[in-house]
Amino acid sequence: MNSRRKFLSQITQAALVSGALPSVWSWGSAFPENGIEIPGEDDLIVRSYRFLDLETPVKFFDTWLTPVPHFFVRNHMNEPSELNPEEWKLAIGGEVEKPLTISLGELSKIETHSVVNTLECAGNGRALQRPQVPGIQWGKGAVSTARFSGPRLRDVLQRAGLKASGKHVMFRGLDEVPGKVPPFIRSIPIEKALDADTLIATHMNGIPLSKHHGFPARALVPGWIGAASCKWLTEIKILESEFVGNFMSPGYRFPNQPGKPGEAIKPEDTHPLTALNVKSVIAGPGDGDSIKPGKISVDGAAWAGEADIVKVEVSTDAGASWSPAKLGHQQARYAWRLWHYEWRASKGDYAVMSRASDSQGRTQPPTPVWNPSGYLNNAIDQVRIHVS
Amino acid sequence: MFPSGHIPERYQGSERTSVIATAIVFLALATASCLWAFPDSSKATEELPAGAMQARATTSCLECHEARIILQQRLTKPAWTKEVDKMVKWGALVDAADRDALIDYLSTNFNPDQPPYDPPRSALEKATVRRK
Repeated sequence: MNSRRKFLSQITQAALVSGALPSVWSWGSAFPENGIEIPGEDDLIVRSYRFLDLETPVKFFDTWLTPVPHFFVRNHMNEPSELNPEEWKLAIGGEVEKPLTISLGELSKIETHSVVNTLECAGNGRALQRPQVPGIQWGKGAVSTARFSGPRLRDVLQRAGLKASGKHVMFRGLDEVPGKVPPFIRSIPIEKALDADTLIATHMNGIPLSKHHGFPARALVPGWIGAASCKWLTEIKILESEFVGNFMSPGYRFPNQPGKPGEAIKPEDTHPLTALNVKSVIAGPGDGDSIKPGKISVDGAAWAGEADIVKVEVSTDAGASWSPAKLGHQQARYAWRLWHYEWRASKGDYAVMSRASDSQGRTQPPTPVWNPSGYLNNAIDQVRIHVS
Repeated sequence: MFPSGHIPERYQGSERTSVIATAIVFLALATASCLWAFPDSSKATEELPAGAMQARATTSCLECHEARIILQQRLTKPAWTKEVDKMVKWGALVDAADRDALIDYLSTNFNPDQPPYDPPRSALEKATVRRK
């Protein structure tokens, strides 16, 4: 079997397992375990089944790389109903010398690069903002980390010959749009698109992307909000200016100055969301847990988009005093750091908190920065536990 | 599929044993399916709560998305008004005469005074688990 055949066979097989293609296993759905059966997705919080929005329980923040079945899923629309890897094409046009289309086989021949990236939905933590705002009510788990692999976006763009007039790169996916909903199209600035770590990812943790994660190819814009990393990629267009559409404005924008609930914010007083901010989450103990006195391990993950985590501190007295946590040895530029703190606890009720700081001098704030869409909630994390 | 050192036990297993396991599971489930039907413990999609506007809200809203997207919101009446008007712009079919009643229905059932929605969990298909 030649390498192209092997590659296509491999991804077809993965798509079958992940439900991208009609599956002989679909009869299994008549036998539910405890939960809603979703092929390839294990023990995730079902925020929505249609469109599929699945949150990772924080207890799974215990491995540096999140296994694909535990990796959160964010869909804005219906997934493509048909995905045939043999027929899939990626069109590249706009401000280029020679517009072209690339097949999956051709894409697989371009040099592959890998990036371990923490992908977080901009709306992660929205449910914890007060007053509440509309949108998927994510708790703390619309974030996961994986090793993404595929050709560099810049290598693909260079084949088409970028014109000097090209300043933004637009991604369109194969999402199926219901009603008159605006299509999910976004753009990123050319500088980020040409970064050596920005990919057209075809693999995640060493296996072809599953359907829920954008099979057969997605953009991977490391360190940025998840919405930048368009799934089921089918068209790339080089533009002279930022793409104009609902998911660039008013969607995925943040006020230039912190606003107050109820206050109208003018579009010109907002900017598009790009890189993630500094954040930590406690994976364990869980909120509301009862624990025996003695040695208690407090564990979690911390990330900072394009910056590095330099410090995670833990408080066991509701923020009155802070002690440094030990950072895990596994690290990569855009990936979270796992952290660990050992605490000797006596009987009582405690608010345990975590607070991360990064290489840009940012530290998590005590409360979320209020904004009308509930984006980038990076408030200090907290769990309440009972020791008895 | 997982990085070394991070392979949960339930996902481990050689290809050969997984083929045998799959065959066993297939036969067992095929036999079971002939004998009785298991109760459906978790519904994939939810329904909207009872009320005068339940049927119309179901027609207008659930054409494009499932009920949980509504069930999890906790919004004031002004916020629901903005959402309904946005959805109408995006293609939701709401009779002009029903608009106010629909906003009332949503803000009565899904306002900030309600307790949070308790979402279900996902589960791998049994056959998929055995196959891995």
